[in-house]
Amino acid sequence: MSRNSLVFGFGLATALLAGWLAFPRALYSKRQQPLVFLHKTHAEKSGLSDCGQCHAFRDDGQYAGLPSIDTCAGCHSDKIGTTAAEATLVDRYIKPGVATPWLTYSAQPANVWFSHAVHVKGAGLACTDCHGNYGESDQVRIYQVNRISGYSRDIWGHSMTRLRRAPGDGMKMSDCEDCHRRHKVEVGCLGCHE
Amino acid sequence: MKLTRRDLFVWGAGAAAGLAFTPVPWKLLDDTSIWSQNWPWIPQPTRGPVDVKQSFCTLCPRGCAVKIRMAGGWPVGVAGVSANPLTHGALCPLGFGAHQLNWHPKRLRAVRHNGVPSSWDAARSAFVKACTQGPVVIIDGYPGRAASQVFETFTEKRGAYVIALNPETRALSPYEHWTGVPATVLGYDLENAKTIVSFGAPLLDGWGIPGRFTRLWAERAAGIRDPELRLIDIEDSLSHTAAKASKWVSVKTGSEGALAAAVARILIEERLVAAQGPVPRLTLAEASDQTGLTIDAMRDLARMIAAKPPAVVIGNDENPGVAGLNVVLGAVGARGGIVRRSKRSKSYASTDALLANAGAVLVDSSVPWDVVPKTDAECFRFAAWDGGSGRADWLLPAPGFLEELTDVPAAPTSGFETYGIAAQLTKPIHEVQSASQFLASIDPALPTPEQLIHARCADLFKSRAGRVYAKEVRPVASLESAQKLEEQLSAGAIWIGDPPAPGGLKCELKEWPQGIATEPSRDWSATWPVPILPPLATKLYRESALREAPDRRTA
Repeated sequence: MSRNSLVFGFGLATALLAGWLAFPRALYSKRQQPLVFLHKTHAEKSGLSDCGQCHAFRDDGQYAGLPSIDTCAGCHSDKIGTTAAEATLVDRYIKPGVATPWLTYSAQPANVWFSHAVHVKGAGLACTDCHGNYGESDQVRIYQVNRISGYSRDIWGHSMTRLRRAPGDGMKMSDCEDCHRRHKVEVGCLGCHE
Repeated sequence: MKLTRRDLFVWGAGAAAGLAFTPVPWKLLDDTSIWSQNWPWIPQPTRGPVDVKQSFCTLCPRGCAVKIRMAGGWPVGVAGVSANPLTHGALCPLGFGAHQLNWHPKRLRAVRHNGVPSSWDAARSAFVKACTQGPVVIIDGYPGRAASQVFETFTEKRGAYVIALNPETRALSPYEHWTGVPATVLGYDLENAKTIVSFGAPLLDGWGIPGRFTRLWAERAAGIRDPELRLIDIEDSLSHTAAKASKWVSVKTGSEGALAAAVARILIEERLVAAQGPVPRLTLAEASDQTGLTIDAMRDLARMIAAKPPAVVIGNDENPGVAGLNVVLGAVGARGGIVRRSKRSKSYASTDALLANAGAVLVDSSVPWDVVPKTDAECFRFAAWDGGSGRADWLLPAPGFLEELTDVPAAPTSGFETYGIAAQLTKPIHEVQSASQFLASIDPALPTPEQLIHARCADLFKSRAGRVYAKEVRPVASLESAQKLEEQLSAGAIWIGDPPAPGGLKCELKEWPQGIATEPSRDWSATWPVPILPPLATKLYRESALREAPDRRTA
């Protein structure tokens, strides 16, 4: 093998290693959620089996998003247990009435209008179709934020190639389009972008 | 082993080749494009509670009902209101993008005097001084509002209030001369017409209230409504309206008046109508020369028009020759023809005669930019968007879309009275004043639009006439109070008066009016206030299914 081939191959290998191993680590920074919240614990101990019990729709049909601090205060007005997370929840957020600054994994750009009511109530999609099976998670996921775009890694999905992804992994426009194509529902640009 | 410069290049080539097989270039391309959407100078909708308000578009006098999606108190989306009985959910492309217009690059952000930045105080002083030089003339492009009443009150002892007629109302002005009823209270009873003859009026391309005739035509095409409704379009080119009409009659440019005269002559001579005169002097042979149509073709056209009464003719301009055809058809004051929607009888003088001696001319923001007063007087022009410093001495920034409270009277061409209130839904993003606020700062005794709107609601309540179309339809007589009525209107409901009784207009012509040869407008969008027509909104609208019949929509 000639010297040039060796050097070329070395360059090729360096790029491949950097691109597949180092780049994904460098692209995303990691942040902790402000609280340790376990969906599974809440489902098991409080009997909250349906997502809609906390992530509810308002009376006018709009999705209310994350539960307010008042919802948490319904059970945690006083500390339940002795964990540090419980103390943080009660002392830092519930007692002063401050909303918990959750880092939203699925936050979309401001120019996207997405109606939960249309998709959940109208089309009958399950929450897990887009969000994955969070209800059974027994640990707090690290929030990974893209250093360039500023959005959560959940938008692109966890596979860098976006190939052979699990259902609900990825929330890019192409994912919306794929789902609409599968369900044969046509929506123009103005349907999501106003 | 010694590394050479060649090694470095070869290594780089290998690395470049390798990178193409990694996610790096593709992911960076995606991320940087998303990053570019969030540059700090790009306006972003506020994060906050999402709410939907109902109101009216005030960009032009058609006053279409709009649903505004608000995020954190700012409008982020506009859609039509399908429950509105006038627009049926339709909007023009400009309306769909209206919430973006407040951030338009051409937004007038500060007072300008002859192109140089100035102040409100300087403008006020200059206006007061100019008023002492001669009468003040106020030009209004959207008559019938509370603000219009403020203008009238201000000019009662100081000068004159005039209105700049929009193209649709201008087409009705011949009837004002013949009947004495102001063109601003005349309209078309399209819903009851069987044959509609358009002389170049872009009925299917922006004429009148979006969703009125387009809806009638789409429902007819879909078999939902009267299948006998016919549209005959007469113009020199194959426009969108001509392409969709039951029949397109291609005539030479500017010969519409001659064709109208020929058709009137045939209608009378062949006794296809009850009228026996006036018979136009123009012979059929002369009309044939002017229009390029054969006499037989004109006879066929006349018979087709008379075949399915009631028929109504709609002109694109104030051509009295075209308007005269409605008199022969008996369409003036008749069901399915031209109707008087209001008993108001005040008409306004034409602009030109009053401008010669004026000391100051104030142009309201409702006046389109193509209306430029021909005067030596100092001109004060209110506008939300800058149409050019050369068109006025003073440019005064006015409230933009939904930045002020205003009322919404009946649209031009409407066959019945309507009234709505467009509430102020968003804070002005610059220091703006409406013309009525500006005048109130000079004469504090003037009534405010708010007071006048209260009074108008009280009058409507007292009259007990008409119905209010909110989530449910209720007769005014069933409402508890005027305040309740005003509350409903402020929340986006619309009051619709009782249909006018037929026969409210009498029109007889002793001789056939002389037609005028005019160049028809080739671009209906040119009649809109310049300079704003979001190109993206236009393209999306044209390519979307919004203009299709309701049962053909796919989403």
